[in-house]
Amino acid sequence: MLWRPQNLSYVYSMENSKTENQQVFEKIAVAVAFSPRIEAILAQAKELQNIFNSHLLFIHVGEHTLQQEQYLTHLLHRFGLDLPDNKIVWDKGEPVEAILAICQKEHIDLLVAGALEKESILKYVMGSVARKLSRRVKCSMLMLTEPSIKPNGFKNIVVEGTDHSKTENTISVAIALAKAYRAQELNIIQESDPAKLAIIRSDELLEHEAEQHKDKIQKEEDEKIEEILRCSDCGELQIKLKRIEGKPGYVITQFARENAADLLVLNSPDRKMNILDRVFPHDIEHALADLPCNLLIVNPKQDEEDSIVQ
Amino acid sequence: MSKLAHNEVISLILSIGMMLIIARLFGEMFRKFRMPLVVGELIAGVLLGPSLLGRYYPEISGIIFSTGTNVSIAMSGITSISVIMLLFVAGMEVDLSLIRSQGSTAVKTSFVGLIIPFALGYFFASNFYNLFGDNNANDVLVFSLFIGTAMSISALPVIARTLMDLGIFKTRIGMIIIAAAMFDDLVGWILFSVVLGMMKGAVGHNFIFTFGLTILYAAIMLTVGRILINKAIPWAQKNFSWPGGFLSISLGLAFLGAAFTEYIGIHAIFGAFIVGIAFGDSVHLTEKTREIVQQFVTNIFAPLFFVSIGFKVNFVNNFNLEITALVLGLAIACKLIGASLGALWGGLKLNEALAVGFGMNARGAMEIILALLALQAKLISEQLFVAIVIMAVVTSIMAGPALALLLKLKPTVLENENK
Repeated sequence: MLWRPQNLSYVYSMENSKTENQQVFEKIAVAVAFSPRIEAILAQAKELQNIFNSHLLFIHVGEHTLQQEQYLTHLLHRFGLDLPDNKIVWDKGEPVEAILAICQKEHIDLLVAGALEKESILKYVMGSVARKLSRRVKCSMLMLTEPSIKPNGFKNIVVEGTDHSKTENTISVAIALAKAYRAQELNIIQESDPAKLAIIRSDELLEHEAEQHKDKIQKEEDEKIEEILRCSDCGELQIKLKRIEGKPGYVITQFARENAADLLVLNSPDRKMNILDRVFPHDIEHALADLPCNLLIVNPKQDEEDSIVQ
Repeated sequence: MSKLAHNEVISLILSIGMMLIIARLFGEMFRKFRMPLVVGELIAGVLLGPSLLGRYYPEISGIIFSTGTNVSIAMSGITSISVIMLLFVAGMEVDLSLIRSQGSTAVKTSFVGLIIPFALGYFFASNFYNLFGDNNANDVLVFSLFIGTAMSISALPVIARTLMDLGIFKTRIGMIIIAAAMFDDLVGWILFSVVLGMMKGAVGHNFIFTFGLTILYAAIMLTVGRILINKAIPWAQKNFSWPGGFLSISLGLAFLGAAFTEYIGIHAIFGAFIVGIAFGDSVHLTEKTREIVQQFVTNIFAPLFFVSIGFKVNFVNNFNLEITALVLGLAIACKLIGASLGALWGGLKLNEALAVGFGMNARGAMEIILALLALQAKLISEQLFVAIVIMAVVTSIMAGPALALLLKLKPTVLENENK
């Protein structure tokens, strides 16, 4: 289903977008690990800064040598990131705990980190730094699976359209990103859980009663998404709504993979995920098990979260 | 090898055919009054069995449900297979990811909603054993554990139907109730399997050993087994005709699981139940495939099982008002207190918590299966069995109106739309 915004008079321009985009991610933290991908991660950070006009904070947890400091300074200069508003934080200790503490202290809106598409089963179950962060961080997080030294933006974006209080904010962020990056495609995926549908179809209902229950639930979900889109400034962006049957989290991950999406946008988990969530995966864990592309986990800002709770 | 005589074959086939048709007619009649199908199927058995028709016209009742020795054995085999398949389908309804995703409220609701009824049931049964009638006096411990388990179980299909009627199936409360009921089912069947394992004495009546085996089987099947099944389904989809292939493989594995658990001293139903969970959790299972398995089992084997209950027990002779009132009162009080306290602890308001309590109170078919297995194992008397069946029916019927009253909701307009 193709969503056509009613107000087509909106003309997108980079200038007015900067002001509105600034609201999305004002402060971005970048986890620096001195891995072979450090340059590509910084290049992506620069692109994000240009689009969102954000302040950047570079966090390194671990050994702090003069050589590392010189190298990072050199790289920041090379990518034009040595701006007065940008900051470097060197810290020691357990990387996940330290990064989480800094993000909280500095009121970070978005944490950017590199991540492998897939990890060994043991590492996945025990949790790598990036994945541990994604399960616990209070702000939004962008996991870059294939950062490029010459970033080309996100052109094919897939976003979660689950019936959830966080979805409105997540779709708004995805729309802002799609507009800023001039994405060619934005797919909103509504997932119909067959387990729930099977419960609806359990032996007690007539065929047409079961269909009516199913239709009613899906119609309510459709109306909510359309209401979100009506309230969002979509500009000339073409948005496709798709309903797919399957386990929530798994279906959207498969869709992103099959459609060669370059960014998957999901709601943040409602609670801290632990090892049991990896053993019995659900929702976002299906994506984290095998990342189909770059992943943006949208966590509502604290004031937005308060209003969602209310 | 002995085999059924010509007239016994006819008698068996005739019984199956008539039971299926009668069960459907009664089930549909009760469904018109928005009662679960299982209630109609059960009452069909009661009316046509020794309780009523058999009392006055035993010849006619005998045609519908033959009591000849060989036919009875064959029928017993069919009902055993039925209950294994029913538990397999019940397992498929348990959505582990839903339980995990509902977080602490569902866990608290189900945990307290399970522990309190179990503890109260156990306490009452062990301290007021005589009030439950003339049961297996040799084993008060196992009997008390059974009563505890019987008090803690919930019926998912009845609960789901009630929530849909009230239009709150997809709301937060709805999902909490569903997730908590699923978790209760899982733990309830583990407990019952342990009780039945202890009953058999084959493992030396050792609670720890039986419990350890049960947990070990469940843990292996729900981790390694579940992953292997999830990986095998796409392969089977590609290479086998579908969904026929799924039906054969899934039910085949369910029977293998059942045989294994029976062999190690846990009841066969538990093996099938856990295999059902492992299959139901697969990301490759579509709604259509689920539906085919579900329809096949619930419309052929479930009616045979539930109608046969009425033919096995005389409900009129074995009705005891005191025992029935005790079981009903205890069941409602246990679940209402337990599940409501759990929901309150989980952060719900009082009226919402009470609604959760009444929702979880519905016992339905699962309780009846539990009671029949206990009766077959000679753990409970026929009087207590009748009391438990009545309790299962009453709690299932009262769940809807109680929820509507507490949440100030009216049933969805489906009925009006149909008119």
